[in-house]
Amino acid sequence: MTALTLTPRARKRLVDRGLDVLTYVVLFVMLAPVLWLLISAFQDDRELSTGAYDLLHPTVSAFTGMWKTIDFERFFLNSLIICTSAAALATAFASSAGYALARFNFRGSRGLSLTVIGTQLIPGSMFLLPLFMGFIWLKQNAGIPLYDTHAGMILVYTAFFTPVAIFFMRSFFLAIPRDLEEAAMVDGCTPFKAFVKIVLPNAAPGLVATFVYAFLFAWDELLFVSNLTQHTAETIPIGIRTFIGNYQQRTAQLMAAGVVSTLPVLIAFFATQRWLVKGLTAGAVKG
Amino acid sequence: MTTLSPTEPAPVGKLMPEPEGGRRGSSLRRSRRRLIIGLITPAVVLMLLVHLLPMLGGVYLSFKNLNIFTFRQLFDAPWAGFDNYRSILFDTDNPLRSGFTGAVQNTIVYTFWTVVGTLGGGLAVALLLNRPMRGVKVIRALMLTPWIVPSFVVAVLWQYMWQSDIGIINKVLVDYTGILSERPIWLIGENSLWAIIIPSIWRGLPFAMLIFLAGLQAMPQELHEAASIDGAGPFKRFRYITLPLLRPLIAVQLLFGVIYSTYQFAIPYVMFGNNPGPDADLMMTLIVRQSFSNNLFGYGSAVSVLLMLAMLVWVAVWYRAFKRDLEVA
Repeated sequence: MTALTLTPRARKRLVDRGLDVLTYVVLFVMLAPVLWLLISAFQDDRELSTGAYDLLHPTVSAFTGMWKTIDFERFFLNSLIICTSAAALATAFASSAGYALARFNFRGSRGLSLTVIGTQLIPGSMFLLPLFMGFIWLKQNAGIPLYDTHAGMILVYTAFFTPVAIFFMRSFFLAIPRDLEEAAMVDGCTPFKAFVKIVLPNAAPGLVATFVYAFLFAWDELLFVSNLTQHTAETIPIGIRTFIGNYQQRTAQLMAAGVVSTLPVLIAFFATQRWLVKGLTAGAVKG
Repeated sequence: MTTLSPTEPAPVGKLMPEPEGGRRGSSLRRSRRRLIIGLITPAVVLMLLVHLLPMLGGVYLSFKNLNIFTFRQLFDAPWAGFDNYRSILFDTDNPLRSGFTGAVQNTIVYTFWTVVGTLGGGLAVALLLNRPMRGVKVIRALMLTPWIVPSFVVAVLWQYMWQSDIGIINKVLVDYTGILSERPIWLIGENSLWAIIIPSIWRGLPFAMLIFLAGLQAMPQELHEAASIDGAGPFKRFRYITLPLLRPLIAVQLLFGVIYSTYQFAIPYVMFGNNPGPDADLMMTLIVRQSFSNNLFGYGSAVSVLLMLAMLVWVAVWYRAFKRDLEVA
């Protein structure tokens, strides 16, 4: 083989061990920033602001202090209310539209698919201003309160995440055999009943995955909430911005706020990981 | 995102096929139509109200002279014709124009490196994790963590890590390992674009990895075995088997990677605030600043329209390049 005195088998083993080590190094690099977030959150504000840290003496003072520094509870509750409602509504609308696209070949179905993809092309900044003005106009002329309300943000987020959710649900429905509905319809179910009673329960993992996916994205949204709210409906990203703006030196508390705002999505993700990964990779495996 | 496969033909409706004529047929057809309309209406109405109508509104406003004085008139603001576009594209004396060209350049650099880093890194890590290894399932799950961290937390965290004096990155690079002899300044000046590119790659890479890993695992092993019997080494097998089979996945990731990176807002906005400075200003931060801080709403809308046109061009270019792969998929 080569000039090395290793047998091919030994060489393969050596390469394999080397790649194992590389995998662990990559994993460490990817996790290091998250570890640093955690470590910093368990430090003291005064130490961190000078760059000092004491790994052996963690303290939870930042976690207790952050709720008093800014009204974090308000931001947190707003995020929970808005994102949960929007994700649930988007999942509901997307499952019905996704079902139509998966099962029926109707006039305009191709146009609908293209429109759904097309929505992803619009820069947020393009419809942010008209939405903002529209919200103000509705309030002044029709008395409909959408600006700086939960309802307004839920409406916007539901619409945002419905298109992607439609493709999500569609791929889940395509994986469900048609025989199920056909059998139900032979037994006298209406098509709608067959959808609700037979198909939806079978698509439960898809529904969960779609919900969590929409929730993750709603939780992350910053552009719209920062311009369509003022106080009542502000979510966590605005809270973090307030923190940076007014209490920059309280680094440990800021990191603690970062940990607290990551936890809900982290829990949601790992609790549903099996289905979510299936949904995310559905297109990949099918291709 | 990756679940989209735009050119896949709509599955033929075997369920409740278009019935033939006759009285029974027409009532079936009507109930089928009612069901479809009922199913798609909520989504269609939402997209009309929140996407399409405001989008047309955005185009409309880009032809308006909409600033702090005329904002009260909302959609009735005075007409400006192509003035907004002219001042962005051709008015060399206008400081807004140089701000625009700078942001265009930064956005191109940002998007290029973010997409290259995300897809290249994602593919490399996917290859690493596609090998048998003890605890590989746990490692795969842990590797996804950065993708779950919200962008605004990513920005806050990295902004702290980039600090020149007290940040952990300079501590590692200078104090602990001595890789660099001087402390670089990351958050101001020429490095500041990298201060947002690197966290963006860090956050996006796990998702690309997930998609590529799924693609690798769905790949038929026989091809690799046959090729290796024929004497093809690992690099040849990667080049001539793995890569061509991953092309459809690369295509879709590239399409949406470029679009989403070009529309990046949260990371620069949280890290640098309203004005990231000339070295790190991106399209979205420029538009939002000019619109909502400087009240140049017409100008902001015009830049948005140009941005969307640029993305349409990108989709056309992409479609020409990858049409073949989509037909296969």
